Amino acid sequence: MNNELMKFDELNMSEEELFSRVDHNDLESEKITAPRYSYWRSVFRVFFKKKINIIILSLFALLLVFTFVYPALVPYDQFEYLMDPTGKHLSPAAAIEKYGFNLKWIFGAGKSGEPTFDAVWNGAKISISMDFICALINMTVGIILGAVWGFSKKVDMVMTQVYNIIGNVPYILFISVLVLIFSAGFWTMVFALTITGWLGIAYFIRTQVIIIRDREYNMASRCLGTPILRIAMKNILPFMTSVIVTLAATEIPSYISYEVFLSYIGMGMADMSLGKLIYEAENAMLTPGWQFEFWTPVAVASIITVVLYVVGQNLGDASDPRTHM
Amino acid sequence: MTKYLIKRILHSLVSVVIVVGIVMLLIYSALDRQLIFAMDPTYKQLGNNQKEVYMYRMWEEYGYLDYVPYADYMNELLKNGEIDEATHKDAVKFGKKVENDTELQAQYVKQFTDHYEAQGYKVVRLPAKMQSPKKYVSGGQQQLFAYKDKPLLGRLWNYFTGIISVDNIHYVQEDIENRGLTFTWNDPVYGGEKFSPAIIGNGTRHKYLLYFSDSFPFIHQNLVQINLGKSYAVNLGVDVFETMIAPQGSYVLSSVTYPTGLTEESADDLHTAVYIAGSREASLVNKDRFLDDYTSTSTVKNAKSKVGFSFVIGIISSIMAYALGVPLGIMMARKKDKLVDKLGTFYIIFIIAVPSLAYIFLFKAIGGAFGLPTTFDIDKGSWLMYILPIVSLALPSVANLMKWLRRYMIDQMNSDYVKFARSGGLSENEIFRKHILKNAIIPMVHGMPGTVLYSLTGAIITERVYVVPGAGNLLTKAINMYDNGVIVGMTLFYALLSITSLILGDILMSLVDPRISFTSKAR
Repeated sequence: MNNELMKFDELNMSEEELFSRVDHNDLESEKITAPRYSYWRSVFRVFFKKKINIIILSLFALLLVFTFVYPALVPYDQFEYLMDPTGKHLSPAAAIEKYGFNLKWIFGAGKSGEPTFDAVWNGAKISISMDFICALINMTVGIILGAVWGFSKKVDMVMTQVYNIIGNVPYILFISVLVLIFSAGFWTMVFALTITGWLGIAYFIRTQVIIIRDREYNMASRCLGTPILRIAMKNILPFMTSVIVTLAATEIPSYISYEVFLSYIGMGMADMSLGKLIYEAENAMLTPGWQFEFWTPVAVASIITVVLYVVGQNLGDASDPRTHM
Repeated sequence: MTKYLIKRILHSLVSVVIVVGIVMLLIYSALDRQLIFAMDPTYKQLGNNQKEVYMYRMWEEYGYLDYVPYADYMNELLKNGEIDEATHKDAVKFGKKVENDTELQAQYVKQFTDHYEAQGYKVVRLPAKMQSPKKYVSGGQQQLFAYKDKPLLGRLWNYFTGIISVDNIHYVQEDIENRGLTFTWNDPVYGGEKFSPAIIGNGTRHKYLLYFSDSFPFIHQNLVQINLGKSYAVNLGVDVFETMIAPQGSYVLSSVTYPTGLTEESADDLHTAVYIAGSREASLVNKDRFLDDYTSTSTVKNAKSKVGFSFVIGIISSIMAYALGVPLGIMMARKKDKLVDKLGTFYIIFIIAVPSLAYIFLFKAIGGAFGLPTTFDIDKGSWLMYILPIVSLALPSVANLMKWLRRYMIDQMNSDYVKFARSGGLSENEIFRKHILKNAIIPMVHGMPGTVLYSLTGAIITERVYVVPGAGNLLTKAINMYDNGVIVGMTLFYALLSITSLILGDILMSLVDPRISFTSKAR
């Protein structure tokens, strides 16, 4: 006791300053004292605490620079070197010897003499753009409709049947019919991948919503008369942020894989995307010395998908509030 | 349970019908019909009216519409005895233009027009295109025909009623003697002395309706046929189902004794004899061999069917996937956050994130470096060539199994019953094997029937990369060739497999876990 009193003396404050009477305040008494907590700041704090995330994120930035900035700076024409009979199917060493050292020749030259390096990044630009657009459309539509699907029992009855039916129509058939009706262009591909692609996401979200919908805190909220929209936005959506981010982590790379797959079976788009490059270079894989043409787009596609996936997964982990402790 | 199942199956069948309807709508209505001629050399050679008629004829072959040329109609009238030979001869030809018709011709053209327009057909008359008053331009002959698009509902009805056909003794339309079925203890194909029961039909489509042989499944039948849809471009005139299950490879010759007693080295399988009207008279070879018109036989070949190859590869790789994936998943869950877990996670990320095409090629390159055969060769029957396709299919499913099993096991690890078991003094090994695994495996059981059944469909990329003659490429091939019959048939096949595996999965899950019941109305 004595010690504490001593401390008060050290403060050099008058009795009045130290102790003043506080009146009872209804508003103040409702406030809960807790450490300051900002959700998104905590997400990024947790995310950047792992060193590997910084490395992968900078790799991601580098990829974006090469896919979007590099093609804008270095003009690329697939048939620029077409007339040169000695410039076709060059290995990296031969290409550098022929043209002198330049970044664009480090992976050799393709079947019409084009630099593989440039071809790959131009292809990646098409693939990644398509990928992000498809993911954006599918995720938005899927999350909104999935939330409605989960909330309304009437919608659930109808949508489950729709899901069972559409799920059974072979996906390739949908896409190929659409590609045949329109042309095999970029936007057709986006349309084909999004027309049924949102269904899977919506179904996933619906299941999650159903799990959370009937929890006690939501029932209490409903008893207090909170409108459904507010329950959806304030009670359920924050709960699902990490689920949605994790879902996005698997969804975003999947469109690149899908595009590669479709191009390989001959149903992809006409533009020289990554998938189309792989498809066209398939024969080159078997010829000794030509393998770079095939493996470069394969490797770049794989790196892009892995980076996107890992960034997404780790962001998903970080956005789970349970990791913020 | 039974009531629930019946309801469930009915629901599923309705959705299958709708799926087939949607696919028919997509390919017959939404798709541009002109596309089927994109790679048709005949179409390019023909000109003018002939081209037009060729288009309608092909559309009929592909199942878009009904097409009746005027000549067919007149032949029909002649056959039915409604007109005599002389009238037919005068009336079957018609004028270069409408004005040029003789009175008789005009009368029958009008009759033709009225007859088909009453049935909703469109009648088209293309006047001749002349270079000079005497000479037609190439393919410019006058044409008269009627056509009608097939309506979707009618098409669906015809398709589903025609799926299963039962052979009967009234199949043969021509007059033949002794229609009926005979039962014999001694199959004539084996010389008529060996004991081998068989049912032989006369007047039926197949001659042998039921017979025994020494190949699996030993008892064979031709009584009930499944028709999924006639193929056109992929395998001319053959049913999709037949295309999938017919053996491939080269002929296996053996000495065959034909009904006439002639013995020859041949690959013909006499048990598959099918009736073709007038075929014995038409060819000397058939006359030497057969006593009746059951002359069309399929041949014995040395390799498996498309589905056979796909199924063998699929089923072995599924078994391998479970044999590897389940123990690895358990190990990852037990050593959570240790090295094993991290390595496993890395592998899972690799498989999920990298496009499947990329790692299949990687496996191919690695396998090739070890000297394994990288392409499939039907005739060489070596088991080594199965290794790479099986491995390429199994490794991704291993990752998938590991991922889910680890997740489910880790979710179970914090349950109260595990804590109780641990406090009761059970060893970690026992807890994992006897308690956690049993609970964690339940959601995995649901996918097992699907894994087995989907082996039948084959894998598109794997089969393409390793040139496996399997069923995986059938759908993409059909789409590329605009073979509508095959597309519809494959869709039905896929849809049926999908609903069966879902229902079987649910049943299996409720058998494994008694807590799961589909009949309770509590929820």
